[in-house]
Amino acid sequence: MQIISGKNITKSFGSDRLLTQVLKGIDIEIFSGEFVAIMGKSGAGKSTLLYQLSALDKPTSGEIYIDNQNILDFNETELVNFRLYTLGYIFQDYALIPDLTAEENVVVPLLMRGEDWYTAKQTALKALDDVDLPGKYHHLPSELSGGEQQRVAVARAIAGKPKIVFADEPTANLDSTSGRAIIDLLATLHKTGQTIVMVTHEAEYTNHCDRIINLKDGRIIGESTTQNTTETTPLNPSSVTDEFNSNLSQ
Amino acid sequence: MRDLRIGLFLGLRQIQRANLWTTLLIIVVILFTFLNLVALSGILIGIVDGAMKGVRSEAIGDLTINPLDGETRIKETERFIEELKTYPEVYSFTQRYTGLATIEANYKERRNLSAEPDVIAVAITGIDVLAEEATTNLSKLVKEGSYLDPNESGYILIGKYNIDRYAAEFGDVFDSLKNVYPGDSVMVTVGDQSREFIVKGIVESKVDLVSVSVFIPELEFKRMFDRADYNANQIAVKLKAGYDEKVVRDQLQKSDLVKLAEIHSFTEDVPKFIIDVRKTFDILGVFTGAIGLIVASITIFIVIFINALSRRRQIGILKAVGITRRTIEYAYITQAAFYAIIGSILGILITYYVLIPYFNQNPIDFPFSNASLSISLEGMYIRAGALLVVTLIAGFVPAWMITRQNTLNSILGRK
Repeated sequence: MQIISGKNITKSFGSDRLLTQVLKGIDIEIFSGEFVAIMGKSGAGKSTLLYQLSALDKPTSGEIYIDNQNILDFNETELVNFRLYTLGYIFQDYALIPDLTAEENVVVPLLMRGEDWYTAKQTALKALDDVDLPGKYHHLPSELSGGEQQRVAVARAIAGKPKIVFADEPTANLDSTSGRAIIDLLATLHKTGQTIVMVTHEAEYTNHCDRIINLKDGRIIGESTTQNTTETTPLNPSSVTDEFNSNLSQ
Repeated sequence: MRDLRIGLFLGLRQIQRANLWTTLLIIVVILFTFLNLVALSGILIGIVDGAMKGVRSEAIGDLTINPLDGETRIKETERFIEELKTYPEVYSFTQRYTGLATIEANYKERRNLSAEPDVIAVAITGIDVLAEEATTNLSKLVKEGSYLDPNESGYILIGKYNIDRYAAEFGDVFDSLKNVYPGDSVMVTVGDQSREFIVKGIVESKVDLVSVSVFIPELEFKRMFDRADYNANQIAVKLKAGYDEKVVRDQLQKSDLVKLAEIHSFTEDVPKFIIDVRKTFDILGVFTGAIGLIVASITIFIVIFINALSRRRQIGILKAVGITRRTIEYAYITQAAFYAIIGSILGILITYYVLIPYFNQNPIDFPFSNASLSISLEGMYIRAGALLVVTLIAGFVPAWMITRQNTLNSILGRK
């Protein structure tokens, strides 16, 4: 089932005299349960495309439907609610709130969804356990390594069980071991049926993806599938943990 | 409600994890703003209140009994005295006798009899030396020399504005005696009767009424002015601490004594211009306070704006993960409220427990009064409330400005 559909997406920056067209009419479709990588060289427009698809930015022209809703029709309140309930984000530099502990970083969006403190806390702790961060609940981001911070970001992204997780170069600031662990974590999530859209410029991290979309100069120049396409299974947090732990031990 | 609750949580966490020195700096800014609000108007009012306190304690007392309109003396003064003695609220009272006279100095050194004599016209007050001391503490106002002794006669106290070396301070509008010091002789003349007195002391008070007066003992006054009766020109009454002058006045007025004299409480006798000056200073205090508030709001705005600007990315992230603008604004309002409340509480405590007691002990020496800090607890609460409102606005506006920015631009640090 199609979960994201983008038609003729363009995005330009600057004024008339110095107009830079970053995206030049992109048509894209992503299906529920897919793990899609958007690849391309620096300046290809891959992050810009992700921002349009993830409702963090508005394209200059085109249409974007997520879960059959035209996200460009949303007003600000609707957009905030849509992000809160439907989307999860993982940023390149973790994007955690430095004043909040690991647990609180995960709890706050859950509270915003209307969960009571106890339920939100239990959900957050479970999500942190799922990303293998037990015992670090009360650590501030500054007290965690880069890999651990990114795992908190993953926990925050998945705790609310969003329909789609967007990851913008989630391994870019990590060493290869931590980067691999994060990719394995995303792969494990994907196996539970989670739709993931990831931007990366490192081909080694795409072997778990179902599909790779290659971008060049703001246009899709090709798509490929990988051999590691996996069968989807219903979301089961404990299986996520088990799988993740087994990946770590390998 | 959810926005408020989560905003409160985020705000408290920001305060908890903020740099301690930054937090202290903001609180100190609020504290000094509060003190500025309180101190300036408090001292301005304190100048007037100090002057009024001086008049009350050094001149006319808590209650004043004066002759009826058209009369020069208090009829049946002895009845008043007997009545006042029965009041447990009365600490002391003093009856005063006044009359016009001339005082001449340097007459022994005057060789040329055709030259102008060194003489001034004064209102002399005859006092019961001990009663006056108990009521107005007159001895403490003696700047040179010493106070009158009830067992001595032939001595006089002269207010400093009657002496040329002090008269200039008063504007030199009256004639004054030259080179008169304690121990010098002066000639007091009433009608055709003259008597020599020795200057016992020079009286100095910030209450001009006292500084222009001349005091001699009651008995000598009666002798000089040929006053055989006991009817005084004024009775000043001092009450024990904690008693309400209006209650005592009302009790006195209920008796038939009210037919014999005017009985006024101190506050009734305060001249209208003093009340007007107090109101003027109050308005000035509000005016300068408003300017202080504006300056404070700009300072707080800048501090919170820089704080919010440095957290612009976090604000973007919060918005990206589904936190509403209103929630984020509440977080900043919470911080602002925290700073304002802590700063104001510290301000109230410092004002109430440090500044007011200090200035009561060490009043500021102004030319016409000893000013202490005059502000009520209610006045402090009003100022704290005004500061809170201004701080909340100054906290809200920067948050409002930054949360309105594009989410992605905030996250990426783009303009």
